[in-house]
Order: sequence, then C-alpha cells, then structure tokens
Amino acid sequence: MISLGLRTLLSKEVRRFLRVPGQTLLSPLVTTTLYFVVFGYSLGARLREIEGIPYAKFIVPGLVTLGVVTNSYLNSASSLFVMKLQGTVVDLLVSPLSYGEILAGFLGAAALRGLLVGSIMWLVAGAFGGFTLAHPLLAVALLALVAVAFAALGLMTAIWASSFEQVNFFPTFFITPLTFLGGVFYSISMLPPALRRLTLLNPVFYMVDGVRFGLLGISDASPWAGPTLVAGLAAIAVGSAYAMLRSGYRLRG
Amino acid sequence: MASVVEIHRVSKTFGTFAALGPVDLEIRAGEIFALLGPNGAGKTTLISIVAGLLRATTGTVRVLGKDVVRDYRDTRRAIGLVPQEINFDPFFSVEEALRFQAGYFGVRLAEERLLELLTALDLLDKRHTGSRALSGGMKRRLLIGKALVHEPKVLFLDEPTAGVDVELRRSLWSYVRTLRDRGTTIVLTTHYLEEAEELADRIGVIDRGRLLVVEEKEALLRRHGAKLLRLVLSGPVAALPPELVRLGARLDEGGGAIVVEATGDATFGAVLAAAAAAGLPPKDVETRRTTLEDVFVQLLAEGHAPAGAGAAARAAAGGPGAGGRP
Repeated sequence: MISLGLRTLLSKEVRRFLRVPGQTLLSPLVTTTLYFVVFGYSLGARLREIEGIPYAKFIVPGLVTLGVVTNSYLNSASSLFVMKLQGTVVDLLVSPLSYGEILAGFLGAAALRGLLVGSIMWLVAGAFGGFTLAHPLLAVALLALVAVAFAALGLMTAIWASSFEQVNFFPTFFITPLTFLGGVFYSISMLPPALRRLTLLNPVFYMVDGVRFGLLGISDASPWAGPTLVAGLAAIAVGSAYAMLRSGYRLRG
Repeated sequence: MASVVEIHRVSKTFGTFAALGPVDLEIRAGEIFALLGPNGAGKTTLISIVAGLLRATTGTVRVLGKDVVRDYRDTRRAIGLVPQEINFDPFFSVEEALRFQAGYFGVRLAEERLLELLTALDLLDKRHTGSRALSGGMKRRLLIGKALVHEPKVLFLDEPTAGVDVELRRSLWSYVRTLRDRGTTIVLTTHYLEEAEELADRIGVIDRGRLLVVEEKEALLRRHGAKLLRLVLSGPVAALPPELVRLGARLDEGGGAIVVEATGDATFGAVLAAAAAAGLPPKDVETRRTTLEDVFVQLLAEGHAPAGAGAAARAAAGGPGAGGRP
C-alpha cells in the first residue's frame, strides 16, 4: 500500500517534469534523431552490418540506454538541487515523510522520466530502422534497474552539491564518456585487444550490452553480466542514497 | 499548564562554532511564546532543531511527549513551521502548493478547508495563480498556509512579518490570535519587539546561543521595567522640598522639571500630591512605562556585562533608569 505522502511526492515530481516537456522529453527526441541521422546513416553506409544486424539498428540499444541514464540522473539531481536552492526542500524536511518515502518519490519519478525518454527514443529508432524486441521483459527490467541506479546517483549528487557545476560534474566527466566508450556505436570485437580489455572494465558497457541482448538478441559479453552487474550497482546506489538521506548530510545541518 | 515542547540541554555546534546552548525551555500548551534575540542569537537554530530541520549536537527535544529524532513522524505531524526565508516552487500554483504540502503530511485537503485557508490568508483570488507571480507578502502568506494545512498543534513562526507592510502585519497578528484561541500553541521569533509585546504571553530572550530569561510578558515588564513621571514646572526651582526628595524625585532641565522613577506596582499619586502641597503645580505631566524594547536592550546589555554591572548596563540601554528623557 503506497502512502498518501509518497503518492503526493511522486505526483509532484512527475508533474514537475511534465510541466516542461520541451526540456525534459522532447529535447532528448531531437538529440536522438540527430544521432540516428549522423551516425546511423553516415556510418551505416560504410559499416552496413555488425554481427548480422544493420548498423542503424545496432546503435539503438546504446542510445536508449544513454537516454535512460542521462534523464534519470538529471531528473533527481536537478529536482532536489533546485529545491535546495529555492529553499522548498524545507517542505519535505519538516514533513513526516520517512526517508524511504522521500527516496522512493524522487527515484520513482526520475526512473519514470528516464524510461519515458528511453521509450520515445526506441519508437523514433523503430521508425527509422524497424522494431525488434528479442527479450522484452529482460530489456524493460534492465532499463528500469539502470534508471533507478542513476536516479539514486543523481539524488546523492544533489544532496552533496553546492553549485550547478558540481551537479554537472558526473554527467560531464563520467556518465557521458563511459557511455560513449561503452560500446554504444561499436561492438568491442571491432576494438584492438588493449582497448577491448579496457572496455571490459567499464560498467556502462555491460548495461549497453545487456540492453542490446534484450532488444536485439546479440551481445558481446554474457547476457547475464549486464543484469547482474546493474542489479548490484542499483542496490549499492539506492542503499547509499538512503543512508545519505538518513544521515542528514548537507540537508539537516 | 501542560508542556507541549520540552527542550532539555540542547546545544548545536557547527564545526568549532558553538551556535546554541545548552538550552532548557518548555513551551506551554495554548500559549504564544516569543523568542527574542539579535541576529545570530540562535533563535532559528533552536526552532529548526525542534522542527527537524537541524539535528542537535547534544540534548533532547520532546513534542507532545515524543522525541523529535526517534519519533520524528509523530512530532512532525504535530508541528507547523513558517521558515524565515521566503521560498516558492515556480512550477506550481497556490492551490497545488497547499495540496502537495497537505499530502506530505498524509492529509487529503478538503475543498472546505482549502477555502478557509485561502480566505483567512487573503489568497482566495490567487488560488490558481503561479507562485512566481505572487507578491512578497502573498508568498509569505502562502508559507503560513503551507504550515497550517495539516492543522498542527504547535506552530513555529520564524520572523513571520519580516518585510511585510503594516496593514498585513496587523492582519497576520489577528490571525495568530485566532489560531491561539482555537488551541494552537504558537512560538514566534521576531525582530519586531512591538510584535512580541502585542502578541506574546511569555517571552524568552536569547543571545549568543544562551537563553538569558524566560518570563511572562507582564512580569518581565514589571520586573525589569520602570515607570517614569516628569512634571514640567512653570519656572525653574533651585531645590526640591524634602518630602519630594524622600519620594525619590530629582530635578532635571536646570530645575525646570521634576523627575521620578518607580519600579513594580508603585504609583505616583503621592508625588503629585507632594508637589501640589509644596506649591509646585506642574504645567505639564508626562508619564512613560518601559517598553519591551527597553527591557530587551537592557537584558542584552546585562547578558554581555560582567556580574554586578547591571546599573551600567541599564544606563547603556538608555531606558528610563538611565535618567534619559522619555
């Protein structure tokens, strides 16, 4: 049974990002379309197929994962950080909402935005190159775990950050590089051995690879590596965010 | 009277800076308690600890018998807080802000209750207006609405009328009294001593994290205050008759006025009679009672002064006891 307090926080957080759909939902749509046009068609003409899959289709799982990761992170990070800046975080801190409810409210809304953006991207990609869903349940479950993990990371960043620069630190220096180097646009079998070994240390590679198995039925690593790793990372991220909220760190003096 | 808030040996340290305490204080059910102090005295720190915005370094706080850390969900349901800083969420309207806040407290805001709040806070015509479009005074009233939306037993108002015009301040005072009459206990911090004098049943004066005094307002004024009588004479006199000297009178303005100061419940009837009997009928009579502002300044000065320096502090405070012109 979801409490009225949690339902209210979830509803408020969802309405917040729906109030600015151009920024939260449509902007990723434009970016994705550009990726497909620039990478899918220009590179696709040269690469043709990877592991029997047309290149324009091969890049879809990686781009969907990128959309889910970025938007889940940004939603919880920007929402809580702006609440801190505006002072409206007081509304939550004086309320009887439990730490678990506050966590669930932020992560639920952020994950929903991430999955909505991911779905929009998948639909756009499908319109370009046709729809394929090899293991739909696995794909959805994995993307949901990815969304929750990065929403929790965003929430922790918002609690810690004291400037927008700090909020943007993780996406700029970790999330985007790790995602782009995590096999979104190529199979690691195309890489030289040294780079391939380096890629295997990148956790985002397993997420992209797992989603690729879910959507297209092909993968570089074991299909279970992604779900296992992401489940572990999500549990650690959620547990850490809960501990951070409970400790009162940078929220309750 | 039962205590609704019990603060026991509470202190707060930020790094090496001791911002508060240790402080002991009890807030009684149904009273309006004013916490007075200069900037940085620890007022906001203290009420933030009670409301759950800050965690005390030492000590315990109980609200309606429940611990604010261990039983935080119960204590927060009992508390409403109007923060000092105006905040608003530009994404949402007045009604949405109130409904969300009610929801956080597990309360489904009935239409009737919503209208009552909007009417009481003069925001009825702004119900669907975005928070960003409200004036400063309206935003502050919205904060009060959000603090009241779950009908708290104790309402904390942190500088509620800062930056609010006189008319609105008066209407807020009236609403605070209405809330008290309905049984809500109210704790307010304020820089406006007039506000405390107007509203408070009891007053606490805090400075540099120490609670200097907690007393009934009237008793505080009586104990620390003074009354001053000034008789302006038709012409200067060289000396006072012995009877007036015995009553504590002295000459002022080069013999053109007689000044008498009294504390507590003393009256000036005997002074007036003695002046008349001595052939010194006053051309004009001025009286003045110490205001809360005088007492506040005096207490702060005493709080900073070494023991036994009360008279000097009184003089420094410039109150009637200092012999200054009323």
